[in-house]
Amino acid sequence: MISESTVRKWYTPVEVSTLQRWLLVSFVVNIVLLAVDLLRGSQSNAMLGVLGAVVIGALLTSLPEEANPSRRNTALVLGGVLLLIGLIRLLSSPVTGFDLWMQGWLVGPGALTLLWVSSRPVSAWSTRRMSLEAIEFGLARNQRREHRFRSVGAHLVLLHFVALTLLPLVWILDIALSPGNALGGNLGGPYTGEHFSNMLGSDAFWTWMRNSLIVSIGTTLMGLAVAIPAGYAFSRYKFKGREVSMFAFLLVQMFPGIIILVPYFLVMKTFGLLNSHLGLILAYCVTALPLCVWMLKGFFDTVPRELEEAALLDGCTQFQVFTKVVLPLSLPAVAVTALFSFLAAWNEFLLALTFNTSNDMYTLPVGLASMISSTGQAWGDFAAASLLVSLPVALLFLFFQRFLIEGLSAGGVKG
Amino acid sequence: MVSVKFTSVSKRYEDGFEAVKGLDLEVKDGEFLVLLGPSGCGKSTTLRMLAGLEEVTEGEIRIDDVVVNHLPAGARGLGMVFQSYALYPHMSVRENLTFGLRMVKGKDRLSDTEMETRVKETAIMLELDDHLGKKAKELSGGQRQRVALGRALIRRPKVLLMDEPLSNLDAELRHQMRHEIRRLHDELGTTTIYVTHDQIEAMTLADRVAILDRGVLQQHAPPLEAYREPANDFVQSFLCRHLDDLVETANTLLRPKVDAKEEV
Repeated sequence: MISESTVRKWYTPVEVSTLQRWLLVSFVVNIVLLAVDLLRGSQSNAMLGVLGAVVIGALLTSLPEEANPSRRNTALVLGGVLLLIGLIRLLSSPVTGFDLWMQGWLVGPGALTLLWVSSRPVSAWSTRRMSLEAIEFGLARNQRREHRFRSVGAHLVLLHFVALTLLPLVWILDIALSPGNALGGNLGGPYTGEHFSNMLGSDAFWTWMRNSLIVSIGTTLMGLAVAIPAGYAFSRYKFKGREVSMFAFLLVQMFPGIIILVPYFLVMKTFGLLNSHLGLILAYCVTALPLCVWMLKGFFDTVPRELEEAALLDGCTQFQVFTKVVLPLSLPAVAVTALFSFLAAWNEFLLALTFNTSNDMYTLPVGLASMISSTGQAWGDFAAASLLVSLPVALLFLFFQRFLIEGLSAGGVKG
Repeated sequence: MVSVKFTSVSKRYEDGFEAVKGLDLEVKDGEFLVLLGPSGCGKSTTLRMLAGLEEVTEGEIRIDDVVVNHLPAGARGLGMVFQSYALYPHMSVRENLTFGLRMVKGKDRLSDTEMETRVKETAIMLELDDHLGKKAKELSGGQRQRVALGRALIRRPKVLLMDEPLSNLDAELRHQMRHEIRRLHDELGTTTIYVTHDQIEAMTLADRVAILDRGVLQQHAPPLEAYREPANDFVQSFLCRHLDDLVETANTLLRPKVDAKEEV
């Protein structure tokens, strides 16, 4: 049987327990943010920041408890002080989005403390001994509210991650849409599409696009043509040197690209493949193949052998077993592999820069880089072009999303 | 007249392990033979050599007096039911059934209407006619088992091979399918070779059992004969003692009830 004292011990208004968690987070954040004040060299703000952190620390140790009015009053006073510090800092700092966010870490906790500690459920609980019925009621209320508070907290955290990923994109979009070629952009100012029409109207851009498409699609097709049979052989057949060659495949991956750059260049030069599409396609295949082969091998491993045996008994040749049974089952993995080689080729910069030095053989990344030279920095055009470059990839991802999920959770096939 | 004959067949793997040693075995036309033995006794290897999934190291396997040692699996005219069913997951039940028929090229290929008739026959025989459009994963275990059987039977195989086909089913279904398999055999008269480690399955299904241990044939006889006159100690303990134990357990379970009745 649960005694009354147990129930009493387990009841804390959800506001207080939530405050405890959130104050702890803001304590840590404020300490980290002190670094910003120090970097900016504003000593007074730094002092206030230290004070704010100390107040939060004090608040953490003096949160209200049952039937203890003096502790509640202390918490209220400390909350007020916190709010005050935050407001002073807010007034003495420049008005930018970042500063608003930064001071929010003091103003927010201060205001929330005042609001919640003075709310009726917390007041009642912290000033007098409650009746058992009131506690039971409070427990039920806790359960309802806790879920909501947690989801607010989780969303706050996640919003920070979203902002972190979106900010660079927003910045680029801003530069691309602002008139002129400044790196800063003009957030919220008058926008223009001139950079986009500049790029879409320029022959160079379409030449680069054509080169990139030829090279990326070529890499994908050639890579798959080699990786699919290789992955299947590694997965199904035992042959001499199997382990060694699988390791050798990975060996190339272990060197930084820059090391093989010079030998590559000499090879390409010898075969007359500089300034050609084929040269790049071959080079990209070599770099993309190991991962593709390993990925496909991993998927083929999950296709049950009995399926192939059943197909053999159904009169298939070894090749038909592969094309009619194994390959259709492995489409998700093949799609992921294709996407991977396409992306690798689409984004590659170093090899393309080294091998294809003539203007009309530039791929998109190299072409983009050539826009930012010592003679002129067309940041606006550059930003517009980089958005145009990412567009096909983003579309590809949208299209392949279903396969990606299936392919990455390989082994979902069950006889 | 379809018969299968093993003449001193041996299987040695690359690592030197000898799975089957000098097996001599004859399966008569229309016979239901059960290969029985503990795991690792070579019964599955024997079946797989006949199916063409494993190479024969020594000896000869004949189907209808033709040596099939070097014939590809698909050319031997066999149907096989696998333990895991091995249905093609990306195909519907209908496509699973007809896959083997569609692989036939040249003059032996059935016309589309003939194929459809076969599908109907098989589906009705195995109570699958409502499920022909479904994918394998939408079927229950018992239905998958039927599709696997149907896929093997639809090609009118000379010999039907089954490799522990019931071991993935629950006890109730296993019991039901066991009767169905025997009924199908009595109806169609297909020469059948059935691999199992389950003594009850062997006793209830077989015309004759071939009991194997460590790659060597221990006894080849009708089930009751093997039970009454075990050829050696292994058969005695693996078959006879096991069955006696089962009977005894059943008796002890039932005895109290019998006693209670007598008292009343």
